[in-house]
Amino acid sequence: MRWLLILLGSLALAQPVVTPGWVRLVPPVVKDTAAYLTLENRGKTPLRLVGAETEVAERVSFHQDHREHRGGQVVLGMRPLPYLDIPPGGRVEFRPGKYHLMLEGLKRPLKAGEKVALVLRFQDGSRLKVILPVEMR
Amino acid sequence: MKGKLLLPVLLVLALVGVAYLLLPKGSHAFYGTRLLNPKPVDFTLEGPQGPVQLSQLKDKLVLIFFGYVHCPDVCPTTMLALKRAYEKLSPKEQERVQVVFISVDPERDTPEIADQYAKGFHPSFLGLTGSPETIQEVARTFGVYYQKTQYRGPGEYLVDHTATTFAVKEGKLVLLFSPDKVEETPRVVDDLRALL
Repeated sequence: MRWLLILLGSLALAQPVVTPGWVRLVPPVVKDTAAYLTLENRGKTPLRLVGAETEVAERVSFHQDHREHRGGQVVLGMRPLPYLDIPPGGRVEFRPGKYHLMLEGLKRPLKAGEKVALVLRFQDGSRLKVILPVEMR
Repeated sequence: MKGKLLLPVLLVLALVGVAYLLLPKGSHAFYGTRLLNPKPVDFTLEGPQGPVQLSQLKDKLVLIFFGYVHCPDVCPTTMLALKRAYEKLSPKEQERVQVVFISVDPERDTPEIADQYAKGFHPSFLGLTGSPETIQEVARTFGVYYQKTQYRGPGEYLVDHTATTFAVKEGKLVLLFSPDKVEETPRVVDDLRALL
């Protein structure tokens, strides 16, 4: 298993556990991309993800996919979320079609195989750093 | 009593037998949604080297996806699925398939940007767009819905859009893949081969 997580926050508050996913390699003409991972709350108190940052993008936002049917066909979109709550024992899967971390305004084109560091920020002030590989998938 | 029943029973059996013989042999059960009445479709949109008319591609099976470039989750998911399916085809088969990405966000996506985006997934893919009026008309032809949402300012918005992949053969819309179905690469490849 590639458990590439490093805890930056206090270990006593270490409720969030991240299973790394990947940062999507998009054509260089695109200035936004998505990051995927699974975030688990192994603690006994609710966890609120309030922000994230990375050196490779201007900012990071959370989005949930939006799906509706029109004219018998599937219409897809996304909706920004100000924060994400994960109940004790719960998990949030950031994956295509569900949630994604949007890396907005890439400062440079990413390369396949490179590693991107992402820091997740929680309401209690703790931070969690995760390293994600850049992959075209 | 028994004698009277024999004839109708034999007749029904014979009819079933004839019906069975009339079934097309080796017919492919399509995974995508087939149009019972293939719909004639055409458009002229802007490509990186000037206008492209769909009917120019009528010797190819054309796979069309409508999306927009500032779309990091939904659009790449389908574009990557189309790439996977395309790459499963032999070079001979690939010559007869054209994947086309049409941007429904002409405000931000120029023909060059739309094409660079498409080619970022596979060099043979083609990206097109057009004036807002033309895009609207083409979208109507295919029954595609798109709508800006979360407007924060010029150039800062998201777009909801129909995420279907449309297969056009000989100028007619023949098959649809929903965004869920298009990810089932082996079955999509079987469908494409049946259409080629």
